[in-house]
Amino acid sequence: MRKLILAPIMATAVLASAAAPAQDTVKIGLIQPLTGSVAYNGTADANGARLAVKERNAAGGVLGKQVELIIEDGQCSPANSVNAAEKLIQRDRVVALVGAFCSSATSAVMPVARKYKTPFLTGVSSEASLTEKGNPYFFRSAETDALLGKAFSRLIVDNLGLKKVAYIGVNDDWGRGSAKAFEQELSSHGVETAMIEYFNHGATDFYTLLTKLRGSGADGVFVAAETQDGSTLVKQIKQFGIDMDVFGVGSWATSDFIKITGDAAEGIYAAVPYVSNLPGERNERFVKDYSAAYDHAPGKYAAAGYNSLNIMMDAIDRAGGTDAGAIVDGLHATDYQAPNGRYRFTRTGQGYGFDAALVQIRDGHTDVVATTRIADPQADGAKDGQ
Amino acid sequence: MDMLLQFVANGLVSGAFYALSALGLTLIFGLMRVVNFAHGELYMLGGVMGWLATTVLGLNFFAGLALTLAVMGACGWLVDRFLIERVRDQGEEPSILLTIGLSIFLTNTALLLVGTAPLTIEGPLPNKPVFLGPVVLTELRVFAVAACAVLILAAHLVIRHTRLGRAMRATFQDPMAARLAGINTARVYASTFALGTMLAASAGMLLGSIYSTHVSAGGLVSLKAFVVVILGGMGSFAGAIVGGLILGVAEALWGGYISTGTVDIIGFIIVILTLIFKPYGLFSTQVERA
Repeated sequence: MRKLILAPIMATAVLASAAAPAQDTVKIGLIQPLTGSVAYNGTADANGARLAVKERNAAGGVLGKQVELIIEDGQCSPANSVNAAEKLIQRDRVVALVGAFCSSATSAVMPVARKYKTPFLTGVSSEASLTEKGNPYFFRSAETDALLGKAFSRLIVDNLGLKKVAYIGVNDDWGRGSAKAFEQELSSHGVETAMIEYFNHGATDFYTLLTKLRGSGADGVFVAAETQDGSTLVKQIKQFGIDMDVFGVGSWATSDFIKITGDAAEGIYAAVPYVSNLPGERNERFVKDYSAAYDHAPGKYAAAGYNSLNIMMDAIDRAGGTDAGAIVDGLHATDYQAPNGRYRFTRTGQGYGFDAALVQIRDGHTDVVATTRIADPQADGAKDGQ
Repeated sequence: MDMLLQFVANGLVSGAFYALSALGLTLIFGLMRVVNFAHGELYMLGGVMGWLATTVLGLNFFAGLALTLAVMGACGWLVDRFLIERVRDQGEEPSILLTIGLSIFLTNTALLLVGTAPLTIEGPLPNKPVFLGPVVLTELRVFAVAACAVLILAAHLVIRHTRLGRAMRATFQDPMAARLAGINTARVYASTFALGTMLAASAGMLLGSIYSTHVSAGGLVSLKAFVVVILGGMGSFAGAIVGGLILGVAEALWGGYISTGTVDIIGFIIVILTLIFKPYGLFSTQVERA
C-alpha cells in the first residue's frame, strides 16, 4: 500500500526536477484536439508545429534560447481548451499560446489569453467573428469562411460552370459559416441555391440527406466537412448513384482522404488553403522535411501548425524579449514567407496574403486547377483571383 | 411518395444497425445487471480488430469476422473474470465506475496503437447500388441487414435453446439457487459478457465495412444504444429490435422532412417520452430480481 501512495509523489518530484532547468528555454503552448472526433486533424497540426520548432531549434532557436513546445489536448471542446490554456499559462508559464482548432474552443480561450495578457494565435479556426471581437492579443493565420468563399466563388463558376448548387455542412460554427459564405458568394455570381442542409459530427449514414439531394435538382454540391465525415459522405454519394460535381472545403486534398475514400474520390474538387503539390521551392522544402519526419506528405492542418508556430517564433524574435506587448507588436509586423505564400496581418489580427488552391482529385493525386490569393479584407477594391 | 419510400428504407437499414449495436448492451444488462458503459468501446475494438485482420493480416471478410469474434469473445471473458467479478454483488455503482474507466482505457489504448486515422474495412460485397423500384440500396447494405438478422437470431437461439442459455437464465433469476443446482455461475457470467462483447464487436466490424471506423467511434454508438435499450426495455431482445427500428425510421423521417442538422434530438425526445410514459420501456418484463 505504501508503495502505491509513494508512486505518484515520486513521479511528481521527478517531473518537477525535470522541469526546473526549463528557465532558459522559450516556452510556447499549443492546444489541439488530440482525442475526439477531430483528433486526426489536430494531431496533424501538432506534427507540423513540432517540425517547425525542431527546425528552429536546429538553427539556434529564438532570442538565443531553445524553444520548448508544450502541447495540451483541448479535445475541440471549449471547457477542456480553457483548462488547457489555464494550465499552460499558470503552471508552465508559456510566453504565447497557439491553437485550439475548433472555432468554438478558440473563442472560449480568447478571454483567458486576454486576462493573462498572453499573445494567442490560431492557425485553423475560421469563424469570421473571432477577429472582430477587439481582442488585442488574438491573431489568426488562417482564412475565414467569408474570405475563402470570396476567393473561390469565381474560380468555381468559371471552372465548373454550375447553375444550381446544393450546400451541405457539418453542424457547427465552421460548417454553417462555410455553407452560408459560399452560398452568398455563389448567389452573387448568379448561381441558384437548391438546398442548404447540415449533419452532425460523427454521423455515419447520409442516405436521408442524399435522398433530399437527389430530389433537389442541383447540378453541383458544396460540402464543408473534415476528413472522416467528408470521406464517408463522398463514398455514399457515389454509392447512391448521384452524378454531380462535388466540391468541398476541409481537409480534402490529403493523401489520407484519398486513401480512405478510394475510387469515390475520383473527380471531386476541393477548395483548400494548402495542398502538398503547390508549386514553389519553399513548399518543396517543407514537403521534403515533413515527409522525412512523418512518412507522409503534409496536408492543410500540418501546414497550419507549421506556419502558426513559425509566425509566433518570428514574432518573439522580433520582440527581442518575452514581453507580451512586444510580441503583439512583433505579430503585427509579420511578413512571413510560408510554403503557401506570404502571411501578413491586418490591424484586427486577420491574416492575409497567402495562397489557396482549387484542386481536383485525379488518379489518386491532387491536380491544382487554379490558385488564388486571400486578399487583404480591409483594402478597398481588393481583387480576388490572380 | 418515392422520397417517403426511400426515407423509410434508409430508416429500416440504420434501425437494423442500431438494433444490433444495442443487443450486446441489453443482453449484459438483462442477464448480469451490469450497465456496460464500455459497450461503444467494445464496438470500436471490433472494428479495429476487423481492420487489423483484413488489412494487416490480409484475411477475407468472413475469416476476419471469425477471428475478431474469437479474440473479442476471449477479451470479454477475461474482462469479466478479472475485472467485473471483483465488483459483482456490490450494487450497480461500482460496476458503472468500472466500465466507465474501462471505456477510457480502451479508447486511449487503441489511440496509442492504431492512431487517429479513419480505418476502412474491405466488405465481402461491392458497394454497388441496387434499385428496388424507386428505392436505392447497396448490395453491402442488404447483406449487412441480413447479417444483423442472422446474428440476432443466433443470439436468441443460444439463450433460449442451449444448456448454456438455460444456465444464463437460471443464474439471472436466482444466482444462489443456480449455484445450489450445480451451475458454475462464475462461468455463466463470463460467457454472458463474452457473448455481449462478441455482439458489439460483430456490429463494429460489419458497420466498419459499410461506413468506416475510427478509435473515437465508441461514444456515439453507446449513446444510440442506450436510447434503443431505454425505449425497448432494459434486457429485452424484442425491445432492442423494435426500439432500433423505431429510432432509425424516426430519425430518417425527421431528417427527411424537417432537417438533418437536428436529427440527434430524436433520440433524446424518445428517451424523455419513454421515461415519462413507460419508464420500464416498451417490452420490459419488469422482473425484479430476488
